[in-house]
Amino acid sequence: MAYVIGIDIGGTFTDAFVADEGGRVAGVKTPSTPPDFARGFLTVLDELSAELGVATGALLADTHYIVHGTTSTLNALVTGDVATVGFLTTRGHGDSIAIMNLEGRYAGLGSDQVQDMVRTDKPRPLVPPQLIREIDERIDHKGSVVVELDEQGTRTAVRELVAAGAEAIAVSLLWSFRNPAHEQRVGEIVAEEVPGLYVALSSDVSPRIREYARSATTIMNTQVGPRLRDYLRPLEVELRRRGFSGSLLVMQGSGGCVDSADAPSRAITTIGSVLTGGVVGCTRLADELGHRNVISTDMGGTTFLAGLVVDGEAVSTTSTVLNQYQVNVPMVDVHTIGAGGGAIAWVDAGGNLHVGPRSAGARPGPACYGEGGTEPTVTDVDLLLGIVNPDNFLGGRKQLSVELAAEAVRAKIAEPLGLTVDEACAAIYAIQNAQTADLVRKVVVTSGQDPRDFVLYAFGGAGPMHCASYAADLEIGEVVVPLGPTAAVFSAYGLAASDIVLTAELSSPTNFPPDPAEFNGAFQQLRSELDGRLAAQQLRFADVEYRSEADLRYTMQLAEVATPVPVGDLDEAGLAGVGAAFSDRYEQLYGKGSGFAEAGLQLITYRTRAVGVLPIRPRLTPVGPADGDARPVTSRRVFLDARRGWQDADIYDYRHLAEGHEIKGPAVVEAPTTTVALPEGCVGRVDRLGNLVIRYTQA
Amino acid sequence: MTVHIDENLVQDDAGAVNCRHCDAALGVAQQPLRDARVRESDPRTAGPSVRADSGHFADRPVVLRQTFCPGCLTLLQSEIVPGDEPSGRTRSVVAR
Amino acid sequence: MPVIPVAGSEKFANLPTTPEETRRIVGDSVRLHDVDRSVVDALDPLTYEVVRHRLTSITEEMGEALKRMSGSVVVTDCNDFDAAIMDEVGDVVQVGLYNTELAASLDMAANWTLRNRCARPGIAPGDMFLCNDPWVGGGLHQNDTSLFAPLFVDGELFCWTGAVAHQVDLGGVSPGSWSVGATDVFWESLPTPPVKIVEGGEIRQDIEDVWLRRSRVPKLVALDLRAKIGANNVAHERLRALCDKYGADVVKAVMRRTMDDAEQRLRAKLREIPDGSWSSVAHQDSARSGDRGIYRIVLTLTKTDDRLVFDFTGTDPQVDGLINCTFAGLRGGIMPVLLTMVCGDIPWACGGIYRCIEIISEPGTINNCTFPAGIGKASVASGWATTNVATECLAGMLDTHPEHRKRLMSVCCGTWDFALLAGVDQRGGGFVTMLCDSMAGGLGARSDSDGVDTGGLACIPMGRVADVEMNEFAFPMLYLWRREEPDSGGPGRFRGGVGASSCFIPYDSPLGGVHLVVSAPGKALPLAGGLSGGLPAGTQHDVLVRNTDVHARFAAGRIPASLDELAGTTDLVPTHHETDLGAADVYYTHWQGGGGYGDPLRRDPAAVAADVAAHKVSPAGAGDVYGVVVDDRGAVDEDATTTRRAALRRSRAGLGAEEVPA
Ligand SMILES: [Zn+2]
Repeated sequence: MAYVIGIDIGGTFTDAFVADEGGRVAGVKTPSTPPDFARGFLTVLDELSAELGVATGALLADTHYIVHGTTSTLNALVTGDVATVGFLTTRGHGDSIAIMNLEGRYAGLGSDQVQDMVRTDKPRPLVPPQLIREIDERIDHKGSVVVELDEQGTRTAVRELVAAGAEAIAVSLLWSFRNPAHEQRVGEIVAEEVPGLYVALSSDVSPRIREYARSATTIMNTQVGPRLRDYLRPLEVELRRRGFSGSLLVMQGSGGCVDSADAPSRAITTIGSVLTGGVVGCTRLADELGHRNVISTDMGGTTFLAGLVVDGEAVSTTSTVLNQYQVNVPMVDVHTIGAGGGAIAWVDAGGNLHVGPRSAGARPGPACYGEGGTEPTVTDVDLLLGIVNPDNFLGGRKQLSVELAAEAVRAKIAEPLGLTVDEACAAIYAIQNAQTADLVRKVVVTSGQDPRDFVLYAFGGAGPMHCASYAADLEIGEVVVPLGPTAAVFSAYGLAASDIVLTAELSSPTNFPPDPAEFNGAFQQLRSELDGRLAAQQLRFADVEYRSEADLRYTMQLAEVATPVPVGDLDEAGLAGVGAAFSDRYEQLYGKGSGFAEAGLQLITYRTRAVGVLPIRPRLTPVGPADGDARPVTSRRVFLDARRGWQDADIYDYRHLAEGHEIKGPAVVEAPTTTVALPEGCVGRVDRLGNLVIRYTQA
Repeated sequence: MTVHIDENLVQDDAGAVNCRHCDAALGVAQQPLRDARVRESDPRTAGPSVRADSGHFADRPVVLRQTFCPGCLTLLQSEIVPGDEPSGRTRSVVAR
Repeated sequence: MPVIPVAGSEKFANLPTTPEETRRIVGDSVRLHDVDRSVVDALDPLTYEVVRHRLTSITEEMGEALKRMSGSVVVTDCNDFDAAIMDEVGDVVQVGLYNTELAASLDMAANWTLRNRCARPGIAPGDMFLCNDPWVGGGLHQNDTSLFAPLFVDGELFCWTGAVAHQVDLGGVSPGSWSVGATDVFWESLPTPPVKIVEGGEIRQDIEDVWLRRSRVPKLVALDLRAKIGANNVAHERLRALCDKYGADVVKAVMRRTMDDAEQRLRAKLREIPDGSWSSVAHQDSARSGDRGIYRIVLTLTKTDDRLVFDFTGTDPQVDGLINCTFAGLRGGIMPVLLTMVCGDIPWACGGIYRCIEIISEPGTINNCTFPAGIGKASVASGWATTNVATECLAGMLDTHPEHRKRLMSVCCGTWDFALLAGVDQRGGGFVTMLCDSMAGGLGARSDSDGVDTGGLACIPMGRVADVEMNEFAFPMLYLWRREEPDSGGPGRFRGGVGASSCFIPYDSPLGGVHLVVSAPGKALPLAGGLSGGLPAGTQHDVLVRNTDVHARFAAGRIPASLDELAGTTDLVPTHHETDLGAADVYYTHWQGGGGYGDPLRRDPAAVAADVAAHKVSPAGAGDVYGVVVDDRGAVDEDATTTRRAALRRSRAGLGAEEVPA
């Protein structure tokens, strides 16, 4: 029997999911073991084996590959526990990473923080001044050498940086993506001076125009690369010792994975791998259910994440913001749009009610946790509105206090506003749902889509308590709450079901259309780079797919639009087709009539993505048909809709439900991992895989 | 009520303004810096931040005008302005 | 030639008008939507917050749409634009977080349009009006072009939306429309009062042609026009859906209450602050090329209970030159700091905020000029100087309150360092561009922390500069450096943020060189003042080195790291200047930082040593201004510092070592 395994290590829990070729699946969850995350990795493998009823050695011996999602690189960057990096750049431009195009003062902040401009600051410097050296060399916009590389000066600079404590070196020279010769020579000089020292070149890590983001990306890659290498190497050795002969793969922010041997040199691509697991899980589940367009919403205790699947593929972005720095890394576009169940409700100086964006976080958490929180959160309100059962929260793993929740709402909201606690809760619930709708809408609209064309998936502990409401506000017709065997370990399922994804890109800014030979040559170069890297993965692929795109823009515009390019060489007519595709996509994004072709087009960056389809795709097992109607286990008073007020609602235990069961709102379904609220006017139906599918019978 | 006019000045109920560092008397509510020590000098004594001589660009004289606490010599106000016009920087907090 | 009054120009000398007066003038030519006070009072907290949040998100969507669709680097890369939602008479309900200076007078333009266009040509669904007349409003100088659009619901004019952005060139004597030799407005871009350029949803081709004909870059201006149309369309679609769902009356009630809320919260905050008055002065050197004068704006801010009076009495008369601003510019100058320093935690509903302030200013003065005074650089000249003087007065006021003083800043980057390049680019196309590197000015020091180094400008919470590579790709130039400049932040117990410099040569143009227009004051005296004893930031400093050996140095494998390394003729560039750069000419432009806060001798010596290590302060600056001596390893020499500070404390006050202070 051949297995595939997904292991997702988050800050709190380590999840694992296994599938075999015959359709058998299992999932387990254990606490994470920081700072030695590898220990939790090995523990969860033992538990997974026990769940399957085989010895760990036997499971590992038959496992083709393990896909690993890790939060370690992201955590390292956020906490600053990274390698000490020396930075080499072109003379005159060492301050670029301090100036941060000035946008570093506010990048990634919410609009309430941006408005409070006086209290904004740039983040801690990426590299302290004593670890930055400028070297004489210069290449121009065409890639021509203007000033030769000062090799002796470079040697001196490298020695100085190492003497100053650098454990690794990042190199980012102006225009190196047009002509990497100087960077490559600097890389050789570093290797000559300090053999074995980790060195990263911007022309390898991110050959894209705009030096600030390219340098920041290269530096961050260098900060986490050595750490990731030191984590993966011993882990792989230990797995081999335990009988594993397959591949250890690492999940990337792009939603695809890469071999663990290849990962450290491009460590920056693994940031966000935990965030993306949920969207990848949605993509696979959507494939099973036949949904082409999905909005993925993951509302947990401390964050609310939103992502999109369009035409069966997760929507990606080419850059992200981390610690207020701009980072070039192809990623599934996951937006953190809110504070989740921990969002705090508060009254401002003008007597107006707000929800979020501040969160009670994991500590002290909502007031009802009884861990010292006194501020009312969305979770407290969910409890007071009867949606959450205080004795059956997360399957009874945590007892909640109704009294503490009520006191928090009374003291902080109801009394100041002259409302009853019930009225205050109803308002907070409605505001939370409407704001969520606003934020989700922004995510959908800015990618040029219409929410009404989507099915919404809701998961995470708190998502299903609110989804029917915010989806209705977005005029979405169908909501899926994934509740089958994968529910508890949805991200790990996504990992096990993923493919190898490698991306190569190259900026070569030019007026569009360029000479077809130049255009085709750029893509041929990317293709051969990718083929080399695919071969180095040492995996058997069921299929290899290539997707190419070019970032085009109207002359002098900021916003480049990634435009699909057909595979194979293009002639002039083919290039004209690419230009037309850009114009269409542009109008889709920014509105009809917004395009102005007379301004001319420019091509900035070529990009190709190779997907190595892995041979085993986990299949989900049907839950079995229902026998008779769904039977509620009890009923209680709930408040799910401001227009209808308090209502008696039937309460269902998910474990008693089967395919075909239908539940009419107002009702609540309690599952081991979450609680689903069904307001009046909704019907929930259990599908063949055990998911609850919600549709609306009235507005 | 005592008011901290800024990081150096404090004004009491009666409107007397004193230095927060050495308690020296500086003035009254209407003229908080009435008794402070004023000195005018060449703008370039402000330090290397004044990159060029004002005479390159303007005909009027330009001065660095600084006001100090007579007690502890803390710098209370700095301005680089045309030397032929009186200081336009004043303030007056209503005593209450 | 001196400015001579122009009969017939009074019509455009716009001043804010009350809603009642506006309704009276409009009469029944356009049905204006209104909502009964009782609907506002009956709003429940839930509906209010839900709709308010949606209005905010619509404003953000407008900004995003405009930014993505625009073709100007100043818009796309530097965020020199803004968007707003206004009520039926033009009062601003919500302004975006971009260039708040621009949005501060959109209300005046929309309101003027109501009063002057309601009968002929009339205002109907699908219409949009374009304006770049700063006497009317909607911008500070002619480059600021606004496009505002009435939204009709059920046959009534429900509200206005507006978008405004800097256009890189709209004609006039000099490229970029900054005619540095201008003595009056006739040298500059033609001001265009509100004109219906979109009618019934379609661009009027005749009007558009009239509009574009004046520009050196008509294609770019046309693209930006479409960007603004798109932004207004996005907002209208969303606002219509909002009215469908909640009813127009409820949405309007939320608009009213948003403005009321901002007003009441500002008033409540003002009541917490002691009453008093704060006076300050802001200077500008040179009104046009060849002029060596220094001009001043004087402000006395009086705070009484919950009201602010901005009295500009004493300000210099308008001058022959391009630095004047209209009343819209004066108002636009006040608004950015009122928003960021006083309303950082209050909704930016300017319609409500304006109710708490009164402005006293005499027409014919430098920041309230009459036609046909030159206003080509109003936004960054008298408008900006108004911001500087308002910053000092408001910061002084905030400093008296233990909590509110946390949101004061000293004056940020004292001026805009304008450098415009024009010519033929490396692809053979004509180009005109404003170099926006100086967006990265230093922010003023705070009462408890340093100003942000290269942190931006007071008027643009989200400014941006383009990457060096993007500029070198787009324009025929090659940078020797772009770097932070030591000592450019105003010294103080808390240091002002440092400014920076760029140094470049023309590169790869088929013409060999490029045309350069410079307009950057602050050279005779620094413009970003300090507070509480803190010193001003450094001066603006532009140097042109002609006929250098830079190419020989390149060939020899060296990049010059300072102007001293170059052979050639060195010229200090005056405030206003227009010239051509040759292939071997090196241009260096160094813009300002932010003012300091508190006595520099009270700064923590360790912070000064860290500044020296990070090149924010030079060793000389550390010794001469901060009295801190740093040893070879970069650590504070405690003994030498104590001695140095004691000596400096006396010598800077003009006292000898033994003298007893009087
Ligand atoms: Zn004193």
